Amino acid sequence: MEPGAEVRHIFWPLKIFNFDISITSSVVVIWLAALAVFLIAFLATRRLSLIPGRLQNIFEVIYEFLDSQTRDLFGDQSRLWLPFIVTLFCFVLVANLCGLLPEVYPINANINTTATLALFVFFVYHWAGIREKGIFNYLKSLLPQGIPIFIMPLMAVVEILAHLARPFSLAIRLFSNMTAGHMVGLTLISFIFMVKNIWFSALPVTGKVLISMFEVFVAFIQAYVFAYLASLYIGLAIKEEH
Amino acid sequence: MLAHFAAGMTIGLVGLGATLGMAWIAAKAVEGMARQPEATANIRLTMIIAIAFVESIALYALLVSFLLLAK
Repeated sequence: MEPGAEVRHIFWPLKIFNFDISITSSVVVIWLAALAVFLIAFLATRRLSLIPGRLQNIFEVIYEFLDSQTRDLFGDQSRLWLPFIVTLFCFVLVANLCGLLPEVYPINANINTTATLALFVFFVYHWAGIREKGIFNYLKSLLPQGIPIFIMPLMAVVEILAHLARPFSLAIRLFSNMTAGHMVGLTLISFIFMVKNIWFSALPVTGKVLISMFEVFVAFIQAYVFAYLASLYIGLAIKEEH
Repeated sequence: MLAHFAAGMTIGLVGLGATLGMAWIAAKAVEGMARQPEATANIRLTMIIAIAFVESIALYALLVSFLLLAK
């Protein structure tokens, strides 16, 4: 059972060819998060000025921070890939922070959302490599060079497994971090119902407040880790051969 | 019963390993900061990210132990 399952709500049941694509509260929160990112970014960059306003300042800090972190990876392709990374960071961050609001479905504590994001990154970094090197050279660059030919099949299997593990670990990392935060909060609050003492309840509530503060920190860290790993994979895919 | 035992052992053993890993990361980071105080900001960022990676492994174990409990 996932936390927040009781607030899941199907707004509009929808089925196409046996695929259930109902509009649930999870879908609505994803839309709202995307809309929020879009609106904030739009308002922040509508009137760009040399002396940045408050919103523009926030975005400049995010952009410059991610730029400084990924410059070695992207090299001269920074202008092409950095907007994608910043968008990914902003969306994951807003989604994480949305999950901390009461009554809002924590979308990143749902494996479907994080798996979608991770698969998206998976396809994007392969596409980046193919775009940079061409499909044949890219497939060749996936294998380590200069090893005996009879080890090649073994290395191919290992490399394929490693590449399949990447989206899996991306999805599970974000999902388990967010889920664990909500689980800890749920456990703390459930102590109140176990002990049933009004004076004792101050303890779990204090703990929940502290955990929530920590969760804000974790939301930033996990958004950064997600964006950084995405840029690392893209950077490895477009890296020149030595 | 056995599943509960396994759940406890999972999170216990992984907690042991992850804590040792985190402690090592923190110790090395403090060492580096003491040796080169001007690189403190960089080292702190790298340390936090490394700790986030280790923590995610501990959370995999937490997930597994929840799955075992739900059995």
